[in-house]
Amino acid sequence: MIIVLDTLAKILFFFVLIMGLVVVLIWMERKGAAFIQDRTGPNRASIGGVRLAGLVHPIADVFKLLFKEDVTPANRHKALYNMAPWLVMTVALSTYAVIPFGDHLTVAGRKVPLVAADLSVGLLYVLAIASLATYGVVLAGWSGNNKFTFLGGIRAASQMISYEISMGLALMGLILVFSSLRITDIVAGQGDLVLGFLPKWGVVVQPLGFILFIVAVFAETNRNPFDLPEADSEIVAGFHLEYSSMKFALFFMAEYAHMVVGAALIATLYFGGYQIPWLPRPLIEAHAGLILTLKLIGVAAVSLLIAMLFFRRAQKEKGKFGDARDREPVLGGGLWVLVAVAALAGLVLKPWTIGPVGADLVASVLQIMAFVAKVVFFAWLFIWVRWTLPRFRYDQLMRLGWKVWLPLGLANLVVTALVMAIV
Amino acid sequence: MEGILFWVCGGLMVFGGLMMVVQRSAVVSAVWLIFAFISAAGIFALLSAPFLAVMQILVYAGAIMVLFLFVIMMLQGPVLEDDRKRLALPLWPAVAVPPLAVVVMIIGYVKRNGLTGMGGAVPEEFGSPVHVAELLLGKYLLAFELISIVLLVAIIGALALGKDERKLPWK
Repeated sequence: MIIVLDTLAKILFFFVLIMGLVVVLIWMERKGAAFIQDRTGPNRASIGGVRLAGLVHPIADVFKLLFKEDVTPANRHKALYNMAPWLVMTVALSTYAVIPFGDHLTVAGRKVPLVAADLSVGLLYVLAIASLATYGVVLAGWSGNNKFTFLGGIRAASQMISYEISMGLALMGLILVFSSLRITDIVAGQGDLVLGFLPKWGVVVQPLGFILFIVAVFAETNRNPFDLPEADSEIVAGFHLEYSSMKFALFFMAEYAHMVVGAALIATLYFGGYQIPWLPRPLIEAHAGLILTLKLIGVAAVSLLIAMLFFRRAQKEKGKFGDARDREPVLGGGLWVLVAVAALAGLVLKPWTIGPVGADLVASVLQIMAFVAKVVFFAWLFIWVRWTLPRFRYDQLMRLGWKVWLPLGLANLVVTALVMAIV
Repeated sequence: MEGILFWVCGGLMVFGGLMMVVQRSAVVSAVWLIFAFISAAGIFALLSAPFLAVMQILVYAGAIMVLFLFVIMMLQGPVLEDDRKRLALPLWPAVAVPPLAVVVMIIGYVKRNGLTGMGGAVPEEFGSPVHVAELLLGKYLLAFELISIVLLVAIIGALALGKDERKLPWK
């Protein structure tokens, strides 16, 4: 019974993380696109004048999509048409079951491993679920009974087959290095050091494998430069063209959920997962008080710096808009000052005198924070790449997958095997 | 618990297989086949063969069926009138053959082994990737490599069939 509750809590953690990040990512995508294209980005939606620099927009989106009419094509294939969005979302939310987001957490004396399902074939599970992800897109494309959606679905199928192979080959190199299919083993292995000073992260021991993997993940998540299934300049909106209202919203959310899961996979397999470089767990537990104190001071310093930047901007852009938006930087700066004050107030509790139970908790929380930070960074990478690189042409995509990535993946595997055999 | 899960997975698998046979639309058939494959993976998982279970999804439900769907859709194009009709008739061979096969299998099993229970407890590492790898690359190495040669021959054959005949290297 208690194990069931544990598992439910872990599932809930990841669900909340993904759904929360989806909202933040939609905002990040718009603001990031605006930043890269040198414009302001969304800043109009407001709740009683509070605009939060565009963070209110996702809420407006939700209401719009919920109350919009659900327009459906008359000649669709009904069952598959209704099933496809749910399929996409379900698959997007299934991968995280095997991703560890921390080492363990001690709850009332029990050590709870922070992973929902620690499968002995975890890595293969990831690949298996990734291979199922295409069905939603393919069936959505076909069941809409429209030439453009159909082309989108067909493209998704062929693209996924092409890139799944190089993804598997890239992961095989990783399996050889850490000699395990269990993801917790792989993450634990990444806590060591190579050559005495480099963290033994996947990206350090498998640099080529990392590049192969990250490109394959981009292709599997259908994100630019590999968003051929929905290439809006060629086939209107591709596979989700015939969907509207909440069904479209499911596709939209699934894309961002895929991004979060992809980012979590990159962070877990190639960037040490929850491991903090040069700070293995025993070290954190031994010096928890010192680390906590330094962290609080650091948080206070950084938030004061950000607050200063906000205030400077308020000074510089005084009267730029001539309405409530002028007060936004002041509001933002004020929030960061509050964070700094809260962090400094934490120092009153004498964090340097923390006991062993607290030390364990501090270590767990720090590791979870490290994991979330990595995930957010790689999610930002997805956005960054999308607004920086142009889309591939279809023949280029196929050529890259079969003629470049596949041989490189095989070479990476052979070289890794040779090195492992010699060392 | 395992017994219930076995019957659920087995029932879903038989149901999926049945639905696959009686569908008029090739695409819907393929979807039901995927459903049956995933249920089969569930049975593998219950038989303490996690590696096989994941491979069943990865290879059959994932890769092969995507290819199937791709080919069906390529040849057929968007939704046909037939695709929206429910079931193919006549149904009876589809309904009759699978149970018959099951009955034949049960009779065969009982004749050979009598009515004793199936097997005993499996060893700890049974069905793990390491265990499967040891068997495939140890005891059954020859068969394993021969199968890969069969696949290679099939690939070359497909290429030869698909390519312009005048451009083949041996012409």
